[in-house]
Amino acid sequence: MSKVDLFESAFRSADKPAFVRAPLTMARILVVTDLDTAASGALLGQVRGYLNAIDGGQIHWAVLDTNGYDNVKNLLEHVEAEKPDLIVTYRHLKSSAWKWPFSLGEYLDVLTQTTTIPVLVLPHPDAAHALPHSVRNTDNVMAITDHLSGDNAIVNVAASFTADGGTCWLSHVESGQIYERYMDVISRIPEIDTQTAREAIGEQLLKEPRDFIARARTALEAEGHAIKVEAIVTMGRRIDEYRHLIEAHEIDLLILHTKDDEQLAMHGTAYPLAVEMRQIPLLML
Amino acid sequence: MHHVPVPVTIIFAILLAALILSLALEEKLHAKKSVIVGFYGVIVLLLASVFGLAHPETVEILGHPVRFPVYVPGVDWEVVAIILGSAVFVDVMSKTGLFTWIAIKLTKMSRGDPVRLLIFYGLMTVVFSAVLNNVTAMIIIGTLTMVSVTKLKRSNQLLGFLLVEALLTNVGGLLTLISSVPNIIIGNAAGISFATFFINASPYVVVATAATIWLGARLFKIRPLANDAEKTEAAELVAGFDENDGISSPGFFWFGVTMLFAFIIAMASASFLPYVRELGLGYIAISFAVVMLLRYKATADRFYEAVDWDLLGFFIGLFIIINMMELAAVLTAIGVGLAPVLAMGDKVGPAVLLFASATISSVTDNIPLAAVLAKILAGMDLPASSPYWWSVIFGANLGGNITPIGSASTLVAVAIIHKAKLPLSFGAFVKVAVPFAAMQLVLAIAYVLLILGS
Repeated sequence: MSKVDLFESAFRSADKPAFVRAPLTMARILVVTDLDTAASGALLGQVRGYLNAIDGGQIHWAVLDTNGYDNVKNLLEHVEAEKPDLIVTYRHLKSSAWKWPFSLGEYLDVLTQTTTIPVLVLPHPDAAHALPHSVRNTDNVMAITDHLSGDNAIVNVAASFTADGGTCWLSHVESGQIYERYMDVISRIPEIDTQTAREAIGEQLLKEPRDFIARARTALEAEGHAIKVEAIVTMGRRIDEYRHLIEAHEIDLLILHTKDDEQLAMHGTAYPLAVEMRQIPLLML
Repeated sequence: MHHVPVPVTIIFAILLAALILSLALEEKLHAKKSVIVGFYGVIVLLLASVFGLAHPETVEILGHPVRFPVYVPGVDWEVVAIILGSAVFVDVMSKTGLFTWIAIKLTKMSRGDPVRLLIFYGLMTVVFSAVLNNVTAMIIIGTLTMVSVTKLKRSNQLLGFLLVEALLTNVGGLLTLISSVPNIIIGNAAGISFATFFINASPYVVVATAATIWLGARLFKIRPLANDAEKTEAAELVAGFDENDGISSPGFFWFGVTMLFAFIIAMASASFLPYVRELGLGYIAISFAVVMLLRYKATADRFYEAVDWDLLGFFIGLFIIINMMELAAVLTAIGVGLAPVLAMGDKVGPAVLLFASATISSVTDNIPLAAVLAKILAGMDLPASSPYWWSVIFGANLGGNITPIGSASTLVAVAIIHKAKLPLSFGAFVKVAVPFAAMQLVLAIAYVLLILGS
């Protein structure tokens, strides 16, 4: 490695994305159900209690129950007219397929991808797989991503949704399978020292999100937030890691990005996570 | 002095000229300096033996006569020790994170203002060139400039920044006795101490640095930020740099800081320090390198790989060749050629020598020039205070600023410029560099004549 590369790498490594704090503003929340009016009202009450952390009494809550729409187009028109800052619904909305947990249901699949509004997806009310602690409070909120460094949006949302006294878990799980695939290729290239590459690449991949979390924690503490910020930065099989983390830390809300500018379908790792993590609410950005 | 037939002197002079030409065409020949010098060294030694010039030297060590082949005592081993020790010391020092810490700290202190950034980077280039070496200084500052100026969305000014820094490496190379190889060679030959060198050279370095930065800001249109919005944005962008990122161990960092100061103090006071005085600067450089290596005692060999063996091989070969040139009376002939210059008097003579040294250094390596002239001037028994020594020092260093091949640091600068995908031909470099080089040379001539020569 030439000295030019050596120092260029050192300076590029020192150039870190700054965390920019931007408090969340929520004026309107739309709760979408496939229940009748009475049951929807009960759900609204439960959701308001659950989202107490963001509800300072200034939010306008609206409910769209089963009588308000009868197809996806209707639903999207209602959302367009309401212009909420957040949509709250549950998986397999207006779908009997919740018994076969292999998708989010057609309404939700379309809704999450056509709108830029964040969608909070609750466990299906009739499915019995919700964890006991879910939909009660947001004491433990976890932001999950495979590229946390520089992602101000997900950190700001996670911090805002965490109840006072609660813990905001900022997690970054680097895919162990992809890493091993590259290491396998590197091990076949004589010009690259395999051990050095393994150590240096692994270390750098995890260092960047760790540094970003440290900056975010400092900024949030400086603002005097009554929440704890914890870092989970690791490498492994994402679904397994998150399933384990959710149970180990009794996570109440999982926040993840789902949009991908380059495709109509949901972001690469978001869909499998959204389908698999059906025990707790998911906030899909 | 033995008699050397004129045809023999001519043969050796042709070989010396061919060597200098080959070094000037190093890039075209795709050959390393050490290989070029080694090739000529083999021929020169063989011819010296054929013509009866090369005889083994017998040196008495601890009362015992030791026979050395002619190529061993011809090498100035102290120069080799200084270069080897300093290279290892600087390389291990860079692992402490100190250099990147200073560089990033200054970047943040500039708050992203282009003029402040140019001043800080310019001063840093000069200081790093003086303490480290020109090439390492250019690499550190050049790569940081590439990253920071691009981040500040001022890529259109990147070329200007890199050129000013390149031109300042050779100014910084004048600051101390160990800042550049010509300084070491001439300083050693003239008997100039580290402290004397610094005292004599530093006023010029201060003035030339300020003038170069001023001219750079003017010619490359580097201006302060215009309004508060620009200032806020630039400050936020540079705030993203983390100066502590490269520090793996705070303890080792502070050890590095202490060692660097100790190194400078030891070098500066070497001529007064009892016991150490007898061992010379090479001993100090090697000692500090060894102490730094204790931190990496199990893996020290990777620092040996980082040593510029091409440069060391080049020196050793060059010293051998120049020694043979002395034996073949080539240096005497060059001295005769220089006599009219020296006869021009204490004002015109040094000025002409400085200008000639700069011109030659601009197209070929300044080290052979320094080595040849050091031998010739030493043979004239000039005092250490003679302006002729300083003419060679200033000319050999500053000549590197006229063309991109004039010095190793300008070559590195051009490599960084090309890495940043900025177009810069040989002619374009010369066109931009000439006003700077002319200004620096005029200042140098005035300084040597009016201050050092008075």
